[in-house]
Amino acid sequence: MNELTPPPTPAAGAPASDEYAPAIGFAAKDVEQVRIYEAKAEQKVARDYQHIVWAYGVLWALFAAYGIFLWRRSARLRADMDALRRALDARA
Amino acid sequence: MKRALPYVLLVAAAAIYPYAVARVFLDTPIERQMGTAFKIFFFHVPMGWLCMLMALICGVAAAVELRRRSQTAAAVALAAAELGFVCGLGVLLTGPIWGNATWGKPWTGDARQVSTALLWLVIAAYLVVRHYGPSSNRRLAAALAIFGAIDVPVIYQAVKWWKTQHPTTEVVGSLPPALWASLWPALGAIALTVFGLLGIRIRQLLLADALDEGWARQSDLAAAKEVRHE
Repeated sequence: MNELTPPPTPAAGAPASDEYAPAIGFAAKDVEQVRIYEAKAEQKVARDYQHIVWAYGVLWALFAAYGIFLWRRSARLRADMDALRRALDARA
Repeated sequence: MKRALPYVLLVAAAAIYPYAVARVFLDTPIERQMGTAFKIFFFHVPMGWLCMLMALICGVAAAVELRRRSQTAAAVALAAAELGFVCGLGVLLTGPIWGNATWGKPWTGDARQVSTALLWLVIAAYLVVRHYGPSSNRRLAAALAIFGAIDVPVIYQAVKWWKTQHPTTEVVGSLPPALWASLWPALGAIALTVFGLLGIRIRQLLLADALDEGWARQSDLAAAKEVRHE
């Protein structure tokens, strides 16, 4: 029933086009079904926010974690410096 | 001024971030084949570049440390390794998220993925040796850092030497101006953040060394005083 006929090749000199070629020889129902799938896939790709949120969340969480690590390390160094200063003052 | 420089870099990064994110999400067109997931590119790629740059800095600084026994070089190598670890983890997490969206698989065993993972493991090993190993293991640590630096050109060339699914190095060069205009601010923001954090960490490590010396002198003084009392 669905005899697959390749779309006609563009005439020599015609501008190359990557737009949809006319579907010849397909049942209208099948063409419609394929278009529904394509539209769904296009919507999914165009609105793929889940991956974006994960990727950007991971990046900023990493920098935030390293920032917190540095801040805690700074606090520890400051406490160590105060302790050394007190120890030296006590000796003097 | 020198002391404030890392903080100036972080403030500049904080000022650029909103612009970079707004450009990526509001002004950059959606790529036709990869769709929205392509926007991961704008921070994934700079993180990859900075990871490789940190590995190179770490390798060079470790070699200088080995040759001249320089405390500054040791601090630069360790700080660069820590930031290479953070950037490498960022690349290794965002890459599979992007791969999952566009290839349908997070990990394909691609040569670039594997060589990047190898670099990250080498950096992790370097950090373990530097943080938890005895000081006599400095040579081993330096060898690991140099090995990591040698892996950097391998990562860069991986997409040329082997058949891979990962986009080639030409992709970035062939970007249209509209995409470059979004990549520059993202690269600038991440680079300023990384160099700001690098500066802060180097200062911390040098301060920690100075404090260790201070405590050692303090205990020497205490011991000398006790001997005098006896």
